[in-house]
Amino acid sequence: MKPLRIKNLKKKFKDTVAINGVNLEIEEGKITGIIGRSGSGKSTLLRMINRLIEPTEGTIEFNDTIITDIKGKALRKWRSECAMIFQQFNLVDRLDVLTNVLIGSLGRNYSFLNLFGYFSKEEKINALRNLNRFELTEKSLQRSGTLSGGQQQRVAIARALMQKPKILLADEPISSLDPKNSKRVMDDMLKINREDGITIICNLHSLEIAKKYCDRLIGLSEGEVVFDGKPNELTASISKKLYDLDDE
Amino acid sequence: MTNQEIMTLHPKIFSPLWKRSPIKIIVSLLIFSYLIFSIKYFNISITDFINGLNKMKPILLSMITWNDFLSWNFNSILVGILQTLAMAFLGTIAASIISIPLGLLASRQVMKINLFRFIIRRFLDFIRGVDILIWALIFVRAFGLGPLSGVLAIFIADTGTLSKLYSEAADNSDNKQIEGLISSGSSKLSTIRFGLMPQVIPIFISQSLYFFESNSRSAVILGIVGAGGIGLQLSERMKAQYWDQAFFIIIIILIMVALIDRLSRFLREKLIND
Amino acid sequence: MNEIILNSHNKSLIRKKRFWNISLITLLLIGITLSSKIIDFNSSNLLNGIPRLGDYVSQILPSLETNNLFLSSKDKGSIAYWYFNLPKYLKLLFETFNMALLATIIGSTLALFLSFLAAKNTSPNSLVFFTIRRILEFFRGVPEIIFAILFVWVLGIGPLAGIIAMTFHTTGSLGKLFSEVHENSNNKPIDALKASGGNWLSEMKFGLLPQVLPNLISYVLLRFEINIRASTILGFVGAGGIGQELYLVINFNYYEEVSAIILLIILTVVSIDLFSGYLRKNIIGVEND
Repeated sequence: MKPLRIKNLKKKFKDTVAINGVNLEIEEGKITGIIGRSGSGKSTLLRMINRLIEPTEGTIEFNDTIITDIKGKALRKWRSECAMIFQQFNLVDRLDVLTNVLIGSLGRNYSFLNLFGYFSKEEKINALRNLNRFELTEKSLQRSGTLSGGQQQRVAIARALMQKPKILLADEPISSLDPKNSKRVMDDMLKINREDGITIICNLHSLEIAKKYCDRLIGLSEGEVVFDGKPNELTASISKKLYDLDDE
Repeated sequence: MTNQEIMTLHPKIFSPLWKRSPIKIIVSLLIFSYLIFSIKYFNISITDFINGLNKMKPILLSMITWNDFLSWNFNSILVGILQTLAMAFLGTIAASIISIPLGLLASRQVMKINLFRFIIRRFLDFIRGVDILIWALIFVRAFGLGPLSGVLAIFIADTGTLSKLYSEAADNSDNKQIEGLISSGSSKLSTIRFGLMPQVIPIFISQSLYFFESNSRSAVILGIVGAGGIGLQLSERMKAQYWDQAFFIIIIILIMVALIDRLSRFLREKLIND
Repeated sequence: MNEIILNSHNKSLIRKKRFWNISLITLLLIGITLSSKIIDFNSSNLLNGIPRLGDYVSQILPSLETNNLFLSSKDKGSIAYWYFNLPKYLKLLFETFNMALLATIIGSTLALFLSFLAAKNTSPNSLVFFTIRRILEFFRGVPEIIFAILFVWVLGIGPLAGIIAMTFHTTGSLGKLFSEVHENSNNKPIDALKASGGNWLSEMKFGLLPQVLPNLISYVLLRFEINIRASTILGFVGAGGIGQELYLVINFNYYEEVSAIILLIILTVVSIDLFSGYLRKNIIGVEND
């Protein structure tokens, strides 16, 4: 078992404390959902895992490596093993879908030629296979900006898969999508978790979806963990505390 | 699916580089061959460069070693700066004022006679086509060396550009206000004053400030062909190889330009807020 | 009650506006008087010069006779006589054009690389950011012609001095413009590249460049227009091109050649402006790369 250990993690922005001492162990191969109000610190917590945000205190460990200490090449290697998808997809609109997906391979397999826009045959085949899992191969040469929100997010997942990641961090992946596309994206994430065994840590604002798809839920309120357990253990009183209102 | 099958399904993706992005390849080749052509055409040789660099070393050195600092003629430098600023100021004001009527005469709203408008526009294009430095040379011939020629050069060059800007602003202005006025029976002049002007005036002041900024830069350059100001001071010192004084003047010029930039930006922001 | 307050408020606003207007006009008048004193600008200088200007203009205008317009260059009054030096001019124009083109190509390439270091969101650290920004400002702030004088001294008379002068200025000017474009662009794709383990170069090439490229190309074309103008006059200080010839004919009073060259310069500048404007409209409309 290769758990991701978060020890006493804190993050302070100027005067605000975003994360106030979080201790977690994320299990390998499971889907862990992080729920809580906006401003509870979900995004900050997630981004400290791949060090897009630097913690002020505390450590993160994975597999005997202290993630919070590594630098340079080692840090880039970690980031390539720990893929991320974003609420606004963060694709390059002007580039075609295939290139967007190929970009995912740069962390893992980089060569000088890539800077000229040249990717190897093998990586292209990889990319097409990944796109195929989401039935998006016909869109390969279309500009990603022309795709719908749901399609763009799935392209983002395909891009993440190019990294051959051990962990997938999903920062509110469905917040910009309508219910139908949300379901499709969540189903796809479920698929890659079950078929590839990729650990997924997912920020969600919808309690209903979180309960449905996650193996484990972590409730965050004002930068602290107020719940850590299975979805069916989440009582009405705790969810009220998390959101200041009833089940969505 | 095997790799081969995937490749056959998407022929475009796996086609060779020159088929996939021909434009990129052609442009790169063009630029590359142009560079090679330039090397031959301009007789660029490495020995020339190395000789040049060797010559640069003592010059750069003397630029930063300031001897006899206090004996330098600071008065001429101060006068030069004031002259340059005065040139830019007068030239900008004169050009701003004349460009209003000229710009209106070149606009569709005011000059309805197409032929006259065409002539005025070509005239303005002509003025703009001749670089300000060329105007300065011509005016030095007629008015002699000194800042007067500089003011006139700035005046003429700016009139060309400003008039075009104003005429375009007038063309793009909202027709509704003007239509409202015309339908209520006001005269042509009043229409211009109350319909066109309020929209154009903030742009007018803002542009004038921007041009003053740019003109102070030009005024420096004009001095080099004899139109007075700090440019003249600089070129004289460079000709006499007083590299340290020249460097000093360059720094003064940079500071002056930076200050004017800041002032201009500050005033323009205030304008937007008022 | 409210009406009274509104009225007095209105009145104070009008008074305030009037105060500003009057002070502005007063300042301007003071400025004009001071400036005129400083540069010794008075009506007599101006009026004395105008007839001289008229004389000069009539001297440089060509003496074309409608009967002889299309005769050979030996016949006075023909266009060919006016432009007898046309082959020389064309050669020099070609040189001028290439000076501007080469300087633009090299300058914009350098500017591209430096601009990534000079933009807040892409610069590796703040020391680099500060230093490169200052360097770019220096190259942009020093007038080209000053660089040209320096390089004529160092490299001798000829187009090379002009090319290097323009390259420096282009690098500074475009470098600053480019960095502003970078700072105004969307950071999200860059974040995504960072999060996937890409290095800084990949972040630039795939995260930033696709967004900004059309804008950058537009600025480069604009810069080319400006450089064509600059290359026509750098010759005044010996940096080659048609400017050198123009300076010569003005100083030696070859009157009709002055107008001949000026006309050629105008035609060149206007056509490049039109062509470049056409390209810019189409680049922004149509995406490539």
